[in-house]
Amino acid sequence: MIKAKRKTGLIFFPAYDWEISPSHPERKERLLYTQDQVMEEGLLDIEGIHEFKAGLATTDDINRAHFCIPDVSSCITPSHNVSAGGCIEAARLVLEGTLDNAFALVRPPGHHAMRVVHGARGFCNINIEAVMIEWVRKHYPRIKKIAIVDTDCHHGDGSQDVYWHDPNVLYISIHQDGRTLYPGSGFPDEFGGPCAQGMTLNVPLPPKTSDEGMLLVMENLIMPVLDEFKPDLIINSAGQDNHYSDPITNMSFTAGGYARLNDMLHPDICVLEGGYSIEAALPYVNTGIILALAGVDYSYVREPDLDPAKIKEDPRVIEYINRLNDKLLDLWRNRGSRKRPSGRFVERSRDIFYDTDGISETQKEVLRVCEDCPGVFRIDTHASTGYYALVIHLPRGACEKCREQAMKWFDVPGDNFYAVYLQDMDRDKYTVKIL
Amino acid sequence: MILGIDIGGTHTDAVCIKGKSIVSTAKVLTGDDLVQSIVGVARKLDIVYSELDRVVLSTTLSTNAIIERKYAPTGMIVSAGPGIDPRQYFLTEDFHLVDGAIDHRGREYIPVKPDQVVKTAALLKDKGIEGVGIVSKFSVRNPAHEIRIHDLIEKDFKNISLGHTMSGSLNFNRRLNTTYFNTAVTPVQVHFVEAVRRAFQELGIVCPLLFLKADGGTYSSSAAHRLPVETILSGPAASMMGALALCDDPDTTTLVLDVGGTTTDIGVLINGVPILEPKGMSIDSLETLVRGLKVVSVGAGGDSFVCLKDDVVCAGPQRKGPPAIMGGSAPTPMDALSMLGECDQGDKGRAHEAISVIADRLGRDVKDVSAEIISVLVNNIRTKALEFIDEVNSHPVYTIYEMLHPDLVVPGQVMILGGPALLLKTYIEEAFQLKCVVPENAMVANALGAALARTTAQITMIADTQLGKLVCPELGIDEEISRSACLEDLKVMGEKAMKDNAEFLGLSGDIEISILEEQSFNMVRGFSTTGKNMRLKIQTKPGIINEWRSR
Repeated sequence: MIKAKRKTGLIFFPAYDWEISPSHPERKERLLYTQDQVMEEGLLDIEGIHEFKAGLATTDDINRAHFCIPDVSSCITPSHNVSAGGCIEAARLVLEGTLDNAFALVRPPGHHAMRVVHGARGFCNINIEAVMIEWVRKHYPRIKKIAIVDTDCHHGDGSQDVYWHDPNVLYISIHQDGRTLYPGSGFPDEFGGPCAQGMTLNVPLPPKTSDEGMLLVMENLIMPVLDEFKPDLIINSAGQDNHYSDPITNMSFTAGGYARLNDMLHPDICVLEGGYSIEAALPYVNTGIILALAGVDYSYVREPDLDPAKIKEDPRVIEYINRLNDKLLDLWRNRGSRKRPSGRFVERSRDIFYDTDGISETQKEVLRVCEDCPGVFRIDTHASTGYYALVIHLPRGACEKCREQAMKWFDVPGDNFYAVYLQDMDRDKYTVKIL
Repeated sequence: MILGIDIGGTHTDAVCIKGKSIVSTAKVLTGDDLVQSIVGVARKLDIVYSELDRVVLSTTLSTNAIIERKYAPTGMIVSAGPGIDPRQYFLTEDFHLVDGAIDHRGREYIPVKPDQVVKTAALLKDKGIEGVGIVSKFSVRNPAHEIRIHDLIEKDFKNISLGHTMSGSLNFNRRLNTTYFNTAVTPVQVHFVEAVRRAFQELGIVCPLLFLKADGGTYSSSAAHRLPVETILSGPAASMMGALALCDDPDTTTLVLDVGGTTTDIGVLINGVPILEPKGMSIDSLETLVRGLKVVSVGAGGDSFVCLKDDVVCAGPQRKGPPAIMGGSAPTPMDALSMLGECDQGDKGRAHEAISVIADRLGRDVKDVSAEIISVLVNNIRTKALEFIDEVNSHPVYTIYEMLHPDLVVPGQVMILGGPALLLKTYIEEAFQLKCVVPENAMVANALGAALARTTAQITMIADTQLGKLVCPELGIDEEISRSACLEDLKVMGEKAMKDNAEFLGLSGDIEISILEEQSFNMVRGFSTTGKNMRLKIQTKPGIINEWRSR
């Protein structure tokens, strides 16, 4: 009998009856071979590793992280309640002390879902990590600082968006350079909102980066940043599409590399994101991650077709990554120098495309810069579905002035809006006013 | 006429059934020689032996052999390939690792090296080992490596067990343990069956001999010869099947409590069917793939040792000899029941003396303390029963449908079996707030369960139409399948395979085939469907034979 060093939970929810479409990468059989490998390796018989049933995230849970337009039920299917519920269950088990860490091996994924949701983008409807984090903050107020390390091959533009203005959630993403892959974002200059400078950190890696390059980022950038930030909770958005066999990306990570990454990171919670090499990568990557979380030897886990020489990086890639690490660490350590004074309003406008559902959205965002709190913000959102709405986010720990501003916006929203939505985090209240 | 014999740790019980009625019962103490116990109890029955159609045995033989390690040294030849280091699972120095690897779809990626296998076999043979188990990772998806190794060493050993024939389920470590135990207990079982046959012949019993398995089904002695490991832990299965036979209201979800001297076994019957342990049984703290009923034990019984811990009354989990009324020295729940006027047997004076020690220390009267002892005992059982139900209900599910439509187990009544059943009925009724039933023949429930259980078997059909491959590990089927086959075709093939192989599987009598699990996935590569991956588990329904049911 093998004994785990840490009590590790697995919330496995393969959603065998859910797919975007029969030939879509996000289809029913996606976790079938992973389940086979996990079962055959007997991971759940290891003393210390336990499987738990997923839960169901409620509408209230979702409304803490999102503005679903027009409402939650129009934007999601029950599968999303379960995958977000699986994450919440993972967090609950860790925070109540039953487990040392947990892996929500669930689908559908979520890291491309932004704060405002009109439909699905990048296979994601709601951001399952964000729904989980907001649940954690409500139920465990002692958890103040949270770090998300997103190791999916695609930039997690949704997670970045949800926490863009949040000074207490550090979002770090390593991904294939956006100039070569969906969603085309995630560059070093995307560094967090005016009141949360440095709380977003993007590490775009060149195509063909393999374990060596990725582990250099972990060792020389991410670990030092986390050591300084000292999060109360670390979440790994454990996408697995950096794998050398992934059909829709161009990176060269291995199962062993992913295991080593988690061994260094020691996340409290892992959440599955992408990863579409369902036969050649996922079974081995997931086995490696589970073993690493539990503190069990993973050195014999490897893909049948692995040829390390074939996927080794060009030395120029390593040089590039070393320079990038230095540049980003320097940028992060000087993050405080770009603060703006209280009371000013900062605007930004964006066009967002929902590739999965074919929806276009235009956003105009206004943030009240604040030195006393994270700052209230409003977004005027107009989607090709026909909805034009105003959403207002009043953050945790909002000051009186920001609260007054939120109420002013809510009471006099202006013309033409379908509805106005207010997320009042301190009072845990979500209000919708149909106009 | 059917004879059921249950060999328990303390007693060996026999019950003889003719049609729908019990014609004779007997009980003897279980001795060291199980054959003598069987013959002894059979002799006490008032029946004509030649009228017997079959004898069903529930024995502790293989369970004891494994727990007491009473078996000959057994070799294992194992191939695994990458993954968890397989050497961590090796139980003895006679486990040997050889090259070879198969992936989750059953594709070979490291071949077997014949020279290496032959050399390994020679090492085992030189040690005088006669039984060898062969296991490879993912052999239930492709048994080729196990078969190849078998063919290379077949002539060198008396008995060989192959991992894929133990069970169609995935789990390499459990397959190792199961195959090892099966190989180890094969000679024990063979020797035992021969001895029982000889002894029965002397009595004039010549009918077929069947064995009860952990899943509450029975199988022929020839199937038991091939897979003796399935008889482990048949005791709790016997009592669950007995409860099923004695349950008049199968539509009500029934919590079964089999209260013994040391422990109480807890199980549940849903729609007249006991539930299975999903991954397999554990024995001697080792996990196996042996299909078995989900039953938990709690160290709380009629003879549990009662003591004070920081002035709090505790009962169990250990037993320290018989109750005081029966000549023991320490107080037990049986003594408390005696003080409460629930039972008249034994020496009441001794019971009073034993309970007084505790009552005096607490400064309370004997009756009051006796009531508390029973309440503590019943609550220990209740706590464990609630945990058990919770565990059943929190079993992970993998589809949205099951998530949204949970099928929760909520017991509607309690059936109590075992020695103190009748004495505890009112107390259990009060604690559980449920109707309690103590069936008339509760004392021989186990032997009755063995006698009345149907024969059972389970097979797994795995079809990968992209590879054009069909595997049924339990039957050793590894053949081609049409690329256009669908799940319905697979069901038809599975049912036919089960019927064609009924004798091999040890099946007889009423065979009702049912589908236990079915899955079918389109395999998509690029943007087109390239095949189907289908999995089917087919079983013969466990239960009680129809003749008895039609009462």
